[in-house]
Amino acid sequence: MSDLSLAARRYRLGLGMFTEGVKYFAGWIVAAVVLAFLVPFIIGQWADVSQSGWYHAANVGKICTAIVGGGFLYTMMPTMIAQGVTRRELATATGLFGLLWSAALGLVAIAGFLVEHAYYGLLDWTQGIDQDTPLPLESYGHAFEFAAHYPLVFALYFTGGALVSAAIYRSDSGWLVLIPVIPIGLALDDLLSSSEPWGPGWMVRFVTGLADDVDPWIGAVLTAAFIVLGAWITRRLILDSAIRAKQA
Amino acid sequence: MSFTVNLRDVTLKYGDADALADVDLTLEAGKIYGLLGRNGAGKTSLLSLIAAFRRPTGGDVLVGGEPVWENAPVVSRVALVREGGDFDDADTVKDVLASGELRPSFDPDYAAKLADKFELPLKKKVRELSRGKRSVLAAVTGLAARAELTMFDEVHLGMDAPTRDAFYKELLAEYMDRPHTVVLSTHLIDEVANYLEEVVIVDRGRVLVHQPVETLQGRGATLTGAADRVDELTEGLELLAEQRLGGTKSATVAALDADLRARAAAAGVEIGPVGLQDLFIHLTNPDRNGA
Repeated sequence: MSDLSLAARRYRLGLGMFTEGVKYFAGWIVAAVVLAFLVPFIIGQWADVSQSGWYHAANVGKICTAIVGGGFLYTMMPTMIAQGVTRRELATATGLFGLLWSAALGLVAIAGFLVEHAYYGLLDWTQGIDQDTPLPLESYGHAFEFAAHYPLVFALYFTGGALVSAAIYRSDSGWLVLIPVIPIGLALDDLLSSSEPWGPGWMVRFVTGLADDVDPWIGAVLTAAFIVLGAWITRRLILDSAIRAKQA
Repeated sequence: MSFTVNLRDVTLKYGDADALADVDLTLEAGKIYGLLGRNGAGKTSLLSLIAAFRRPTGGDVLVGGEPVWENAPVVSRVALVREGGDFDDADTVKDVLASGELRPSFDPDYAAKLADKFELPLKKKVRELSRGKRSVLAAVTGLAARAELTMFDEVHLGMDAPTRDAFYKELLAEYMDRPHTVVLSTHLIDEVANYLEEVVIVDRGRVLVHQPVETLQGRGATLTGAADRVDELTEGLELLAEQRLGGTKSATVAALDADLRARAAAAGVEIGPVGLQDLFIHLTNPDRNGA
């Protein structure tokens, strides 16, 4: 019986990480939903609304997902090993957590775009993506098509966060992995999306041009390949990591 | 079942420096061991290898006869409790105790009983605990793990004397109820001496001594009696400590052979056991070891 429960422990742990993560960030997610719908409503009292508020909330979710992937792994590495969990189990649990988190947040993102489309339609506003060349989402189908990549892009950010975190835990110079991960991640995000890169101006300039005129399906395949490769490297780093000495 | 520990020709390097070198050590199942050593001697490194917190640079680490590294059935029954515990500071005490259930042998009722006994505030976050309470939480997680090999690495630091005493008694009660292998790494040597069956002394990355407590303490003796007679008996011997009160003197010697024992008895000088701490200080004295 105990061996049976030990065999399933990695999956229970991954599920537990997901439920704890959702509980921990539930307030933030609710706040993002409220702000994404409330701010356009307030603006709408004085001006025409033509930008999707949800687009910004969903993009903040990407950064949040990278922090979740990295933060959970870095924190749980010593605590789980101290609880008699093996590194393989932790790696599998983190992978399951990443899949569940990305799928769940991706579904929330997609649902948000669809609900927002209905909300904007009721108030006779235009649901559009604000960028140099504005991108209006003129139908439910168009909104869904625009949002469909979010589960994959969340998985991309989760993998990037976990990879950076595992490298930093493994070695003091592990932060150097940021140098390839950030530009590759942003470029892939741009490849996946039919919009222009989102973020601070310097970052947008950094990746703009890398991904022009590439079919989003190629972007999806490249992103999936990065996620698989990143997950494999993260697992190798976890398996090879010593638990750090405690600071006095 | 309780776990044996076997280290065979184990080396651990941090960069170019040897934290442990050529360590061969066997711990029998079902005993309470004291792991002693000066600061930086390699105690924590040794425990980290046994608990698979680290992988040795060379050699084999076996627990329960099996390699411990990435061995889930084994590591799930090994508990290494480090000073202050390994917790997420954002968790509550209740969360920390609940996470113990990742171990097949964890006893949540016992954990709750200990939390009550040691007055742990279940709703407080770990970061809000005092150093003493944090140490208690670490000790509780180690005891309630009901592991086959439990190692406490300076876990009592920060606990006040009554709490430490209660912890030692609980540890002993748990051991009597369910014999398993226990390793206590500590600098409070005389405080735990009565609980130990065997002592392992680590010095500069090597196992210096591994003996039953009685054998180790039998290496030396404390001679107490008239000062002139004690001086006469100990002349030319290596003294670990000496105290004088009026005409009475007490001298601790590092070695006591049968002849000296007989002469002391004939001279009316009382022979007592040597303190474990005095022996430890003597054995790990850098001058003695040529450092």
